[in-house]
Amino acid sequence: MSEPLLMTIADGVELCAVQTDMFKTCKINIMMALPLAGDIAAKAALPYLLRRSCRAYPSVTSLNGRLDTLYGAVLGASVMKKGEAQILNLSLSAIDDRFALDGESVSGEAVRLLLDMLFEPKLEDGTFPQDDIDAEKRLLLERMRAEDDDKRTYARRRCEEVMCADEAYSRNRYGTAQEIESLTGARVYAAWREALETAVIRIVTVSSGTPDAVRGQLSARFGTLERRVAAIETQFIPDAAGEKYERETQPLMQGTLVMGFRCGMHASEDMDPAMTVAADIFGGGTYSKLFTIVREQMSLCYFCAARLNRDKGILLVSSGIETENESKTREAILEQLRAVQNGEFDAEMLETSLRSLRDSVRSYTDSPDVLCAWYANQIFRGTAKTPQQRIAEYDAVTLEQVQAAAQKITPDTVFMLAGTGEEHHA
Amino acid sequence: MRDTLYTDVLLGESYREIRHPSGLTIRVLHKDGYKSSFALFATKYGSIDTRIEQPDGSFRAIPEGTAHFLEHKLFESEDLDAFARFAKTGANANAFTSFDMTAYLFSGAACFSENLEILLDFVQSPYFTEQTVRKEQGIIGQEIRMYRDSADWEVEFNLLRALYHHHPVRIDIAGTEQTIAEISADLLYDCYRNFYNLHNMVLAVAGNATVEEVLAVADKVLKPAVGKSAVREFVPEPKAPAQSYIEERMPVNVPSFALGYKEAISAPERTGKEVLCTEVLLDAVAGRSSALYERLLREGLINTGFGAQYFYGFGYANCEFSGESADPKRAAAEIRKAVAAARQTGIDRESFERARRKLYGRIVMGFNDVQSVAVDMVESYFAGDDLFERARVCRDMTLEDVNARLKEILDDETAALSVVLPADGKEA
Repeated sequence: MSEPLLMTIADGVELCAVQTDMFKTCKINIMMALPLAGDIAAKAALPYLLRRSCRAYPSVTSLNGRLDTLYGAVLGASVMKKGEAQILNLSLSAIDDRFALDGESVSGEAVRLLLDMLFEPKLEDGTFPQDDIDAEKRLLLERMRAEDDDKRTYARRRCEEVMCADEAYSRNRYGTAQEIESLTGARVYAAWREALETAVIRIVTVSSGTPDAVRGQLSARFGTLERRVAAIETQFIPDAAGEKYERETQPLMQGTLVMGFRCGMHASEDMDPAMTVAADIFGGGTYSKLFTIVREQMSLCYFCAARLNRDKGILLVSSGIETENESKTREAILEQLRAVQNGEFDAEMLETSLRSLRDSVRSYTDSPDVLCAWYANQIFRGTAKTPQQRIAEYDAVTLEQVQAAAQKITPDTVFMLAGTGEEHHA
Repeated sequence: MRDTLYTDVLLGESYREIRHPSGLTIRVLHKDGYKSSFALFATKYGSIDTRIEQPDGSFRAIPEGTAHFLEHKLFESEDLDAFARFAKTGANANAFTSFDMTAYLFSGAACFSENLEILLDFVQSPYFTEQTVRKEQGIIGQEIRMYRDSADWEVEFNLLRALYHHHPVRIDIAGTEQTIAEISADLLYDCYRNFYNLHNMVLAVAGNATVEEVLAVADKVLKPAVGKSAVREFVPEPKAPAQSYIEERMPVNVPSFALGYKEAISAPERTGKEVLCTEVLLDAVAGRSSALYERLLREGLINTGFGAQYFYGFGYANCEFSGESADPKRAAAEIRKAVAAARQTGIDRESFERARRKLYGRIVMGFNDVQSVAVDMVESYFAGDDLFERARVCRDMTLEDVNARLKEILDDETAALSVVLPADGKEA
């Protein structure tokens, strides 16, 4: 596998190319970052609308039929939140030409198709057709509402909303239902131009081909644009101002407790990787405090895990529990945090955590999807740090750094999705 | 010891299958350039095994959820539990129980031999006490409740309950809080002896590791198996579903549905050709490039989560169409009409070729991922196939094969519909 090549295609547009023949596929991922502000709903609708059809394949059936013919090429569209950036993603994986049964070129066609979709969408009278907009409006609303049907996702989202109520981060990445319902072709067209002309863009490829071909295609497309790159900033609040509590009851068998913490961070690279290690010892793997004590010793739950969000400097602990065990579980979780803060973990525990973290980073190069995500996530740093370099950073972490990082963690918000514990009605 | 090399030139992959003197079959697929290895040690014992064979050949019932309970408990031992042992190598260890197997696994990019030794050792070293069994009832009780609150899970299991009269595929994999309360340490030992016999198991390794590394550990750790493979009963099912409609109210925003067609089967297991032909025809009828998909989407009856799958195992097989819908009954009616029409006319050549190429591409892509390769090696072994059977059948399949298959399945009289509706909503 080659070292990644990082190239500037246009102002604010980077290509990060990894060349390897280890895989059966070629993969290309286009990540476009915009501020989590303005017409969020129109921007959220954009990747899904581009995924729907394009000028060359103007219907759902024709575009999907084309993908099938390209040996089931997988075309992905998604919207994410990364700190206070709204991330629009388009990606495509297709089998490498070596595995095509009739000797046809698949990967070159696939890359061209993805770029066609981004640059040559289906337009009518200079804008997106209203019936396509209406169809995608419904799908976006259902997607947003269906996400809340996963109670764990819902409880985490609610905790973040309460915790970050006064920050842009509390905005839903799809916008509000009202904003979606009122979407027009003109608004999504404006979002498309905004994305092409102002987004911070990183394209990552993992394929057996040389980067020159894709670089040429990208330069030809982006070279025609007048770019003025948007400034994207995330507000970091290092310390909790006080403890907030919110509770909601639903007719559920199980309750979900989510506790939100601030991590003393002023930027995403603060205390890196010590904070990652602290979060891992607190509630990462099966050796963590939360797993070994709260689950295994106290039998309070099936899952209890801590997840650090570096892009926002917050940490969430979530756990599925008997509703009546809420206060007992909260106390147990805080007690385990205090244990990490008091340095109640030894060099062996630190090494256990580091071994596990290093092991998973070492595996990144075994998956084109994971590798793509690894390089795409460095979008705001302008770097192409390799997994190997990340391992070296873990090697340098000390016990003192981890304890010091843990001591910066302060409890901010508790969200309890209480269940009634009753059976649902058949 | 028998050692066989299997190669598929078009896929560019090879693996070796070894009949180890201990009685265990081992499959190893080495991947050049990969840093990690994924190992899966599995037994043909899942939630559908609710009866175990007695010395006199008769069968006795065991509580629902026992296979899954045993999976949780096998991680414990008298001294250091398996998670604590894996913590010393950095590997990521886990296990899962499905309808027809229990599998223990690790993935790791270092210390392969140590990891494999821990895996083979802890699965061969049961340690159950009444106290540790009781402790687990709390944890698994929460796991059961977590799934009961998941609409995706409920819509699927309700469908199985509607389709099947007797077959234990209709029960929850983890059982219920009542059935797991009946589990004792003695019972776990009985089940362990019956199902965790190396003749009933397989080890699959994919990734960085080599056959020599695997065998060195296997020779050291595997204890020769006595006894024979566990025997499964084939429970015949009536052709018609137990009920044609089942509904549940849950606190959800978006209703969901699963429409299933039960297959009339006279033998417990499906051949590779039956499976692949079914997958291709389901994609031709309801895949993303089908006329049905486009129409349902346009009429607002499905969203992009809609899909069809072939769901099969020992003694059960059905075709399922599932997704979210504002109007599940109308969506199901439209699908039934389209399926009936396809059975009349057959699949056309163009749709067949599209679906076949797509499936072949997805099979190829699966070889990127060591986890997917290891799981496929286990599943194909339990099905009596080699790993490359799917790719081969897909390459050789014809339109006539698929249309012949279509005549055997998807009979409208075998269909059942499961829906989950919002708790506070109006009648659908």
